[in-house]
Amino acid sequence: MNLNLDGSKPIYLQVSEWLEREILNGNFGSDQKIYSQYQLAEIFNINPATAAKGLNILADENILYKKRGLGMFVAGTAKEMILNKRKNQTLKRLVQEIVLEAERLNVSKAELIDMIKAANIGEVEE
Amino acid sequence: MTVIECRGLTKDYGRNRALNGLTIKIEENKITGLIGRNGAGKTTLLKIIAGHIKETAGEIKVFSERPFNNLTVSANVIFIHDQMNLPTALNLMEILEAASSFYENWDQALANRLFDYFSFNPLQQYNGLSKGMKSTFHTILGLSARCPLTLLDEPTTGMDAAVRKDFYRALLKDYLAYPRSIIISSHHLNEIEDLLEDILLMKDGKEHLHLPAADFKEWAIGIQGKTGLVHEWTKEREILHTKSMGPDQSYVVVRNDLLEHELQKARATGIDFSPVTPSDLCVYLTSKSKGGIDDVFNKD
Repeated sequence: MNLNLDGSKPIYLQVSEWLEREILNGNFGSDQKIYSQYQLAEIFNINPATAAKGLNILADENILYKKRGLGMFVAGTAKEMILNKRKNQTLKRLVQEIVLEAERLNVSKAELIDMIKAANIGEVEE
Repeated sequence: MTVIECRGLTKDYGRNRALNGLTIKIEENKITGLIGRNGAGKTTLLKIIAGHIKETAGEIKVFSERPFNNLTVSANVIFIHDQMNLPTALNLMEILEAASSFYENWDQALANRLFDYFSFNPLQQYNGLSKGMKSTFHTILGLSARCPLTLLDEPTTGMDAAVRKDFYRALLKDYLAYPRSIIISSHHLNEIEDLLEDILLMKDGKEHLHLPAADFKEWAIGIQGKTGLVHEWTKEREILHTKSMGPDQSYVVVRNDLLEHELQKARATGIDFSPVTPSDLCVYLTSKSKGGIDDVFNKD
């Protein structure tokens, strides 16, 4: 398994984002035990302390919860929380970047909105 | 528990000071990367930890004891480096068998499996091995000994890329199964950084930075954009590295203490921020001039 596709991102963030994807994909359901720091270390060839940091981010956000001595488990509302987080943070940031780039290129608002519509296959037929 | 503790550790070789008041603490069961330029004192430090040489001044404790001439330290430490004195009268298999009698936790099965995997010939003589094969053989000793403190001084010297990759994976897997304190020195931080929990950067015989590897990645930030704008952001900060990128463009590396709203503000004015890789950061922190090799060619 290869992380570091995006070398600019800290590994522990890449780990937590990968775990989020696993939860979104349904590979881990509610109240299911997630990988341990040692399993993650083995999967990604990283130090277990780094893997633990990735897990702890999700635990701090209550996407995972800890059971003493048993490990970390997926919260019931994990999927919802991840979707909300991505919408409010990741997507928002990407949109800001797009708007900024459009300004640099002198692309008008209307033109940009048309481009977004064109990229959205569902609305092409409109 | 603390495995290694140094206070004001100093070592002189004649008139040459190799260690100059090093003060560090290394905790149990961590993989620490020992990084520094040639001559920074890495090997000297490892030799003193292993008890091979005596410190000139200062204090060092390994497993709470002074390592020089100490049996506890000898029995619990293995020091792997590229000038190991292995008996020339024995073949490779005999060396492994002899080594097994020195180390309490020695795993002969692991030694045999690694030995086969790297296609060694049991009857071969150590002196007949190539540079890379010698390094590989050393690391088999280093891993199989399972010493509570394992010191690896540039263990991958001469290894080809495939063997290095295998070795890093073997090191991590065995560490996960048998956690122990490991110090690995290397000039290829980019290859080992993911394996490390801590990074100890040495400069001029002293500790320069000793941080978790994850913090190291975010310790500095690169700022690129129009020279005037970049200067606005860097004038009150310590500049670690600077590079001119054409007529009116600069790239400057500073400590990463910018807040998210500052970053956003700067981005809006067309400044680009980029992370600085640990291996680049080490080069910047340990270089003698801020402009690097370019300065040599800019003296007109």
